[in-house]
Amino acid sequence: MNRAVETHADMVRRICLVHLKNEYDTEDVFQNVFMKYMLYKGSFECDEHEKAWFARVTINACTDWLRSLSRRRWVPLESVLEEGSIPDETSREVLEAVLQLPERYREVIYLFYYEGYSAVEIAGILGKKENTIYTWLSRAKEILRQKLGGEWA
Amino acid sequence: MNRIRESMEGIRASQELKAGTLRYLERQRSRHRRPIWRRGAFYALTAAACLLIVFGVGWHSLYGMPISYISMDVNPSIELGINRYGRVVAAEAYNEDGWDVLRHLSLKNKPYVQAVGSLLEDEAYQKYLVDNATLVFTIISDSPDVIMEELESLDEGVSYRILTYTSDSHCMEEAHQYEMSFGKYRAYLELTEYDRSVTVEDCHGMSMGEIQDRIEGCRQHEETEHSKNHGGSNTGDGGGNTENGDGNTENRDDYTGGGNGGSHGGHGGHHGGCHGK
Repeated sequence: MNRAVETHADMVRRICLVHLKNEYDTEDVFQNVFMKYMLYKGSFECDEHEKAWFARVTINACTDWLRSLSRRRWVPLESVLEEGSIPDETSREVLEAVLQLPERYREVIYLFYYEGYSAVEIAGILGKKENTIYTWLSRAKEILRQKLGGEWA
Repeated sequence: MNRIRESMEGIRASQELKAGTLRYLERQRSRHRRPIWRRGAFYALTAAACLLIVFGVGWHSLYGMPISYISMDVNPSIELGINRYGRVVAAEAYNEDGWDVLRHLSLKNKPYVQAVGSLLEDEAYQKYLVDNATLVFTIISDSPDVIMEELESLDEGVSYRILTYTSDSHCMEEAHQYEMSFGKYRAYLELTEYDRSVTVEDCHGMSMGEIQDRIEGCRQHEETEHSKNHGGSNTGDGGGNTENGDGNTENRDDYTGGGNGGSHGGHGGHHGGCHGK
């Protein structure tokens, strides 16, 4: 369990930030994800398989969490950005733009640009069609281009 | 490195978050390891609770069921119900004086000897135990000898007279129909053998000492008459009652009403006095 936490904690934390935008809910979802891992009876073919499992389970856990309106704790975006270690103003601007995207676009942008998954792999993780992922990626890129200019990625 | 990756590079799970999650998982793991034990404990507790209820109810009904009775009559008439463990489980008074005593004295759950001792030491009860008083113990039990023996230990050094008799549950039922203790009712029946004119109502208004005195008076009169008619001497046991002559206690075992074929004499002999009136 220690290995899994050490290996995937950062990714789970970032997915939580992308979805939940606040630190308070992150701890709950974070624990839920690793709880599911502890109870998971299946086996993983390789490290990449395990990583994709964590990505999918974390996204689902965040979605489930947000479905419960009573649990939502709205936090201004500025305070979210203050929580993390943002290296510079440019990075802060980029992250702010990403976090302002619609939820489904945030997911694909994160998985595509940060985790380096292909559209096919993202389709597998999110359980969507490839074309849907291409469409979401295209629209997300367009929004970011408008906000950040042509050299944003 | 693309700018999105760069912007998120600094966002990492803190050591605190990771350590907290590991602690949380450890707690959950220990909970998940215990379901069988917990289920076992649940079933065990449920079974124990059921057994407790079953045996509790059973024990309570056994405990609360009197199997022997002692009627204590001076003027206060009090009956004690005694369970199989020798403890008082019922205490009833059959006249005002009895109620006055029981109102402030708790006898339940005490061993019966201790309960009787408490009564005898009670200030309100003691005012009836004057020098010429007669305290009558009447016992209904499968083994009255044991109870008699225990009660006789209480008579040492007392100035009043103590008599012990045995009776039976049928006599008790009849007594209670007249709202009288079975001890006093037994004495009433004995008195009616000498004086047919006496009624239950008369005896209600008499103390046990008065009833006993009348019985004694009648008996002596009858013996005198008997001696005159037959010219013989009184042997002292013609009436079937025996005085044991050791101090103040007289063991007068079963009173038998006349003409109904009952027996006098030994302890525990059948008492048929309730049918002879």
